[in-house]
Amino acid sequence: MNGQYASLLVALPLISAFFVPLIKGLGGRAIKYYLTLITALQAGVAAWVFKTVYTTGKPIIVMAGGWRPPVGIDLYIGHFAALFVLIVALVSFFMAIFSFDSVSTEPTDKYAMLFLLLMLGATGMIATGDIFNLFVFMEITSITAYALTAYNKTGEAAEAAMKYIVLGGIGSSFFLIGIALIYGSTGTLNMAQLAQLAGSINPTVIKVGLSLLVFGLAVEAELFPLNAWAPDAYQAAPHPVTAMFSAFVVKAGLYALARLVYLFSHAAGWDFILKLLVIMATLTVFAAEFSALRQRDVKRMIAYSSISQVGLIALALSVGSQLGVQAGVFHMINHAVVKTLLFLTVGYVGVKVGGTGIENFSGLGRKMPLTAFALTVGALAAVGIPLFNIFWSKVWIIIASIEQGYAWEAGVVLAASVVEAVYYLRLIHTMWFGGWDGIRIRESLPLGTIALFLVLLILAIGVYPNPFWTLAKSAGTDIFNVSRYIANVPLMGVGP
Amino acid sequence: MSVPHIGLYYFGALSLVLVGIYGVLVKKNLLKILISLSIVETGVNLLLISVGYITGRSAPILSEGIGPKQAVDPIPQALVLTAIVIGVATTAMALSVAITLYEKYGTLNIEEIRRLRG
Repeated sequence: MNGQYASLLVALPLISAFFVPLIKGLGGRAIKYYLTLITALQAGVAAWVFKTVYTTGKPIIVMAGGWRPPVGIDLYIGHFAALFVLIVALVSFFMAIFSFDSVSTEPTDKYAMLFLLLMLGATGMIATGDIFNLFVFMEITSITAYALTAYNKTGEAAEAAMKYIVLGGIGSSFFLIGIALIYGSTGTLNMAQLAQLAGSINPTVIKVGLSLLVFGLAVEAELFPLNAWAPDAYQAAPHPVTAMFSAFVVKAGLYALARLVYLFSHAAGWDFILKLLVIMATLTVFAAEFSALRQRDVKRMIAYSSISQVGLIALALSVGSQLGVQAGVFHMINHAVVKTLLFLTVGYVGVKVGGTGIENFSGLGRKMPLTAFALTVGALAAVGIPLFNIFWSKVWIIIASIEQGYAWEAGVVLAASVVEAVYYLRLIHTMWFGGWDGIRIRESLPLGTIALFLVLLILAIGVYPNPFWTLAKSAGTDIFNVSRYIANVPLMGVGP
Repeated sequence: MSVPHIGLYYFGALSLVLVGIYGVLVKKNLLKILISLSIVETGVNLLLISVGYITGRSAPILSEGIGPKQAVDPIPQALVLTAIVIGVATTAMALSVAITLYEKYGTLNIEEIRRLRG
């Protein structure tokens, strides 16, 4: 099949989102079935794209309207984008199923629309090859994310959404100033051409422009000091949406950050940006772990844990070596799996028991054994215990950062892991040894299947990391190897 | 038409951005914060337009007597159109959230809207 069909990745959720009002007449459940169907279709398209890219070894370049870049806007679906578009679609599919149980606030048709648009935005951010198009997709993602954060219509939800809007608004303005500066000095918005011209830009413009881009994306990528919105939004958003935030919205931001930073790797003044990012990432890990320690709400605690892992990914992406980027991508995959599982199970407990405070988890091992088991595996994996998936990516990240001379930062990360173990073990202890009120709750079959699938995936990556490490290596090389990126995009014979 | 030096436009646009950021950081009233956000956006849009400005040329609208040689760079103008639409969407979203906040908390003072913390 023609590679141009990959544009369905963006077109399908966009068209489907606007068909939701037609489905509305068939009732609330019909909307959720529709949502499940569309996300399954999207997963199918993504799986086809993934298979094509990995069997041919060549990226798919979608040219909008048949115009060759840099005149037309292109979608660049390389090894990284193919992998992550698949992850986005699969997580969305799982969360569409989870929405049956967990989302009952009206209007569900608006929920379905926003859900599809959020998926579209993240997919677009990962796939696009144009810096302004990236901005547009980032805004689609963040505006739908604001709306979904406020969806529960409680005071807390509105408060969290407002914090997110103010920070996101400032972030997107910074990003746009960065685009203005870089466009002003290169005259192009196409990423491949920007990478070609990177060496000729004035170092001060690069420093200022790229710092502004980094700060703009740091809001989406939840990097310190621009992540104050994240724990609130994670806590207040509907449970499936929280899992989506953690599994791919933040990943889209991180990917965009890494892609933009490495595009300019030939530019003078690049090291400055890397140093800035390493500092931001280390502070993210440190601040988030210590905040997580004193949370009484499990969902909020896992939100902080998610932020600290994101800091770890950002550290790996910004050490500036190929191994670091590969380790970062590997950690992205693992983090998506583990945090989807954790937010799924915690959200399910929230729906069934009626809250996500630590007291609701007391005696969960006998109340909901399957959920408690899945949550335990997820928690152990998040700590980074051997035989679970995150162990391998943490090891690679630490090796990569020490190799680049960031031993001190690696030490901070290790210390933070110890803190992480404390609060996760506290949760596990409460679940299995806490008092039980004697009520056994029936667990739903589809959600149990999803949870078990994710548990098996965690163990599979933990025991046989090699196939997944190979995937992560080719995806990471796709980000790091800018000259191959330039060579792959058929520019219209312009540039130096 | 004689226009002042291009640096003046950059200065004006960036000072609007700074005024807006000052408002977001300092003001306590939610509506004032949202207005400040809009001011930041306006400043950024003006900056984008000035980046594409070429002295002595007119707006890139296809009409009698204005060819590619007489018009300024059209790409920033297209970007700004998109950015304006996005800004309107963000502002609308923010205002609707502000309505919910006022209903639930009975105030728009951000120092009193603090149920989520830690």
